[in-house]
Amino acid sequence: MRHRRPKCARPTHPGSGTKGVLIIYLGLQTPVCEWKDAASGSSLKTNIVGCNCVKTVYMPLIHRTMADTDLDFTTGESGASATIPMQCSALRKNGYVVLKGRPCKIVEMSTSKTGKHGHAKVNMVGIDIFTNKKYEDMCPSTHNMDVPHIKRNEFQLLNITDGFMSLMGDNGDVREDLRVPDSDLGKEIEQKFAASEDILVSVLSAMGEECAVAIKQMTGGK
Amino acid sequence: ILATLLGLPRMCAPPSMVNTEQRQHAEHIFLSFRKSKSPFAVCKHILGKCPSNKIASKHFSIMFSLLSPPSLQKYVREQILLAVAVIVKRGSLDKSINCKGIFHEVSQLISSGNPTVQTLACSILTALISEFSSSSKTSNIGLNMEFHGSCKRIFQEDNLRQIFVLTMEVLQEFSRRENLNAQMSSVFQRYLALANQSTQNVMLKPTETWREALLDTRVMDLFFTVHIKIREDSDMAQDSLQCLAQLASMHGPIFPDESAQVSYLAHLVEGLLSMINGIEIEDSEAVGISNIISNLISTFPRVILTALPSELFTSFINCLTLLTCSFGRSAALEEVLDKDDMVYMEAYDKLLESWLTLVQDDEHFPRGCFVQPAVQVFNSYIQCHLAAPDGTRNLTVNGVASHEEDEINELQEDDRELFSDQLASIGMLGRIAANHCIPLLTSLLEERVTRLHGQLQRTQQHLMNSSNPGSVDRKVLDDLYEDIHWLILVSGYLLADDPQGETPLIPAEVMEYSINHSTEVDINTTLQILGSPGEKASSIPGCNRTDSVIRLLSAVLRTSEVESRATRASLTELLSPQMGKDIVWFLKRWAKTYLLVDEKLYGQISIPLSTAFGADTEGAQWIVGYLLEKVINNLSVWSSEPELANDTVELLVCLVEKRERANIVVQCENWWNLAKQFASRSPPLDLLSSSVQRTLMKALVLGGFAHMDSDTKQQYWTEVLHPLQQRFLNLINQENFPQICQEESVKREIVATLEALCGIAEATQIDNVASLFSFLMDFLSSCIGLMEVYRNTPETINLIIEVFVEVAHKQICYLGESKSMKLYEVCLTLLQVYSKNNLGRKRADVAAEEDQYQDLLLIMELLTNLLSKEFIDFSDTDEVFRGQEQGSGAAGRSVSAADVVLFGVNIILPLMSQDLLKFPSLCNQYYKLITFICEIFPEKIPQLPEELFKSLMYSLELGMTSMSSEVSQLCLEALSPLAEQCAKTQEKDTPLFIATRHFLKLVFDMLVLQKHNTEITVAAGEALYTLVCLHQAEYQELVESLLATQRDAVIYQRLADAFNKLTASSTPPSMDRKQKVAFLKSLEEFVSNVGGLLCVK
Repeated sequence: MRHRRPKCARPTHPGSGTKGVLIIYLGLQTPVCEWKDAASGSSLKTNIVGCNCVKTVYMPLIHRTMADTDLDFTTGESGASATIPMQCSALRKNGYVVLKGRPCKIVEMSTSKTGKHGHAKVNMVGIDIFTNKKYEDMCPSTHNMDVPHIKRNEFQLLNITDGFMSLMGDNGDVREDLRVPDSDLGKEIEQKFAASEDILVSVLSAMGEECAVAIKQMTGGK
Repeated sequence: ILATLLGLPRMCAPPSMVNTEQRQHAEHIFLSFRKSKSPFAVCKHILGKCPSNKIASKHFSIMFSLLSPPSLQKYVREQILLAVAVIVKRGSLDKSINCKGIFHEVSQLISSGNPTVQTLACSILTALISEFSSSSKTSNIGLNMEFHGSCKRIFQEDNLRQIFVLTMEVLQEFSRRENLNAQMSSVFQRYLALANQSTQNVMLKPTETWREALLDTRVMDLFFTVHIKIREDSDMAQDSLQCLAQLASMHGPIFPDESAQVSYLAHLVEGLLSMINGIEIEDSEAVGISNIISNLISTFPRVILTALPSELFTSFINCLTLLTCSFGRSAALEEVLDKDDMVYMEAYDKLLESWLTLVQDDEHFPRGCFVQPAVQVFNSYIQCHLAAPDGTRNLTVNGVASHEEDEINELQEDDRELFSDQLASIGMLGRIAANHCIPLLTSLLEERVTRLHGQLQRTQQHLMNSSNPGSVDRKVLDDLYEDIHWLILVSGYLLADDPQGETPLIPAEVMEYSINHSTEVDINTTLQILGSPGEKASSIPGCNRTDSVIRLLSAVLRTSEVESRATRASLTELLSPQMGKDIVWFLKRWAKTYLLVDEKLYGQISIPLSTAFGADTEGAQWIVGYLLEKVINNLSVWSSEPELANDTVELLVCLVEKRERANIVVQCENWWNLAKQFASRSPPLDLLSSSVQRTLMKALVLGGFAHMDSDTKQQYWTEVLHPLQQRFLNLINQENFPQICQEESVKREIVATLEALCGIAEATQIDNVASLFSFLMDFLSSCIGLMEVYRNTPETINLIIEVFVEVAHKQICYLGESKSMKLYEVCLTLLQVYSKNNLGRKRADVAAEEDQYQDLLLIMELLTNLLSKEFIDFSDTDEVFRGQEQGSGAAGRSVSAADVVLFGVNIILPLMSQDLLKFPSLCNQYYKLITFICEIFPEKIPQLPEELFKSLMYSLELGMTSMSSEVSQLCLEALSPLAEQCAKTQEKDTPLFIATRHFLKLVFDMLVLQKHNTEITVAAGEALYTLVCLHQAEYQELVESLLATQRDAVIYQRLADAFNKLTASSTPPSMDRKQKVAFLKSLEEFVSNVGGLLCVK
């Protein structure tokens, strides 16, 4: 299982500014972390655990040994590209678009033109689906914009350790790389977990970023 | 303040009652009081509560003299006078104040010759009028509305005329003076304003008693004289013109006979003409003058207008013509200068509207008398909208205005909507003068199209030789586009109307024009010109002998052809999407009226028109083919221009929505190509916005019901609908669908399918509902599965619900019992799944609230649509499904509309909050829904779970008391069925029974004690009656406790009688229709009789 996270802005962290990958070997009580610098190829042991900020590769330790050095740096992303281009006019309100490099939900969309005989331009207001920040953009309606691939998956919450959730997907795979979000929802997840309630966690992912965005009480046979 | 309170009356008391010392003391108090900061409030208080009206009334003169010093602040003075007016009003209650006395005082003040005092007199009159006039201006003095009403009546009968006469006196006096100094003019202004107010009805309809005062020609002369005197002062000029406009709207019993009306009008018109001819109109006068003319034309009957001496009438029409043209030019100038206050535009609109009124009654006037004026007004309109050298657009005194290109957002209306009134008038005038106007438009348009063609070619050359595409000068092109824009709009409005719903007819004037010239017309040349939009019209031999109506259409087709060719030459960037919109807009409007013209609808038909566009003609076939090609070209080239794409696809719908037109459309190969292309979901059609795609789908489905042989039809559906189904089924039946469902390509496919389904539902008509319903039902079941798969994807869920909403909206009214049942079932399942997936879900993302709001709105719409079957039902025991239906029908099925709806309400009610009700659309939809439920399934209401029941009742109360009157009416309508339900079950002490008791009090108070909207009286009355039937004892209690609060014996008796009468016809009250009607009638009387007594202001 490999997942990407955006780069950290904090200068003291490995990975900030330089290209490389933070590899976290899972499967032990305490995950083991290693920084692989892309330029020099040198590797650096670190004890920073899933700081939720560095471009990270998660490795199940079961299948790899710590001595495994044949890590493929280019496969940080898996499969298709994170976005596809689409003509502006085909975008729709409530749809998604990349604004200023961020995946956004389009909350407002309107057209305008310069002069009565001008060509249409599309004005968009989007809200970053992860940070809730508002972005605006305007472009000629014939231009293409990037549309992010958005995925929403539901997982059953199994456990919480050190602020990380153990989540089980439909196919039985378990992942432990997602933090409990730092929000009201996160608090609620912890409460429910503490109260031994069975809940499903919806995880939204786009452009290599992931976040738990919703929970649902598990009902009967689900 | 208390001391002041006591002191004031003492000061005002007659000398005999107080000694000098006391008076001096009082005067001292009064002076200090005048210096105090808020004297007006105190004064108002004193006067309003003054224990002795008589004393106060006798000493108005003293009061007035005290108030006269100019040092007193204007606002203070006016507040005090308002208080005086209130005293007069209260005094009139017990006849303790005689208004005559006041008028005597006032007329003395007026004759004093002192401007300050005269101003005061004016203020007094103003205060009186405003207090006695409409109830909104009336002060709140704790008296019932009946009192206010009767005061107004008496005042109108007795005093208003006196005030008018007084005002006239003053005006006379002022108008005799040579020059007015500033202060005087301000006094004068107040009097004008006053004269204005005393006749403040929008249209003046005085009673006979005014005859002497108003019909006196000197009154009118006076106002004209006055206006000439003060017209330089823009504020005063507006007042005096308003007075004249009032006089121009005079009608009603004041005129003893027609001849009086004619001579009054003649005098008015003479005065008006000599005024207009004698002056150069100021900006501030434009609106006022146009109001006078507009009032005059709309008020005086045609017979009176035509009875004017013909010379006078002609001068009037000529003057109106010149004025219209001149205002039009000034309006254009205002636009160029981008003025905030568009006075000329307003005046121009008014005058054009008057023209429309005039020419619509053409037959009353001498034949042809409007032709020349129409030519002039039409020419000047065209001139103002064309660029130099033919026109004057953007011309100012300093030459051509270079105006910067503004940002125009989509909210700004298109010119064809924004100026629709102007264009309709100009179009109408163009028809009146069709001989001149149609050829004019044709030649102007043809000439511009030729220029556009040349300019585009030159630009193309330039682009090929230059590496810099930015170097193109768009100025010339934009000027041409703007010219063509206006020419097409005017042509569209001239040639055809756009009546909503009805079949538009070719305007009689246009038809007549074409018939009159048909003998000179060479039909073959006409058809040749029509059929060769790629060629220059003038290059075709014999082009002067063509039918002008057809020639104008071909001019637009030539424009369209130049546009299409430019797109093929990759010059799309240089084109104007606005012009593209104009072209398809025109073609749609034209096609609705002229294409396949039905000879049966006309008494006489033009041969050229019927030869070119009649049924079974080559011309019609050719043009359908041409239009189709245009549509296809536009959709592939202009996908990035949403409005243009939308207008284009509307043209397509227009072509297929009528069976006759569709029959020709489906014979075109292009149509099949379009269908295939769309079904393949490939570019360029898949770039269109979702709403355009929906409408396109709708058009394609509509076309499928045209006349075709069965093989062809089969084939068509295989091309259009079948691929949709196949692709969808292939996708969702894949084993790994749940795994791949989040992939972008899969999601897009699903969304496209759902959009298409909405489009298909939109295409429903009574004759295709059978096949469309079966087709859609299969999808609806699959959609339920999608609800599961996409439970995490709100935008998809939203779209799925929308499909259900559309299907229910368009089809339920045609469905018979068993089909409806199927739809109910699937809707119920949808709601169950939705509910299950959202139960216990908590979303934290930013769009959560908006998504939920949209889901709720859609679900409510769905429920309302399902319920609407109870009101609108076109189904005839499944007649439209005959042959499909087998046996059993509804037997054995258990789902009813009620089940679906109540289940839906279970979902909605817990989610509704007062915050959500602040969204007007949601609020209206919500109340519409719950009213429907109460009306249709009252028996289900008591079965609701307690919490739901409570919130439903609370919603009703909230809606009745604190929402819009529309919502309040809805809630009242919901009450009767609930009360009837209670009566039926005969159970007391059920929650519903108790709730209705509470509503009785609410409705009772609403009807009897509060000032309510007359619109809701009926709804409230019905509710009250059924509630009274149910709770007779409680009603008696309410009546008695109300009576007990009345101290005045007379009022007590009146009220008691009124209440007795109210229920007399229906004792004992029973839920009987006849009795209910009788009650409603009595209630009407009750409200008009004592309604004013209890409502206090």
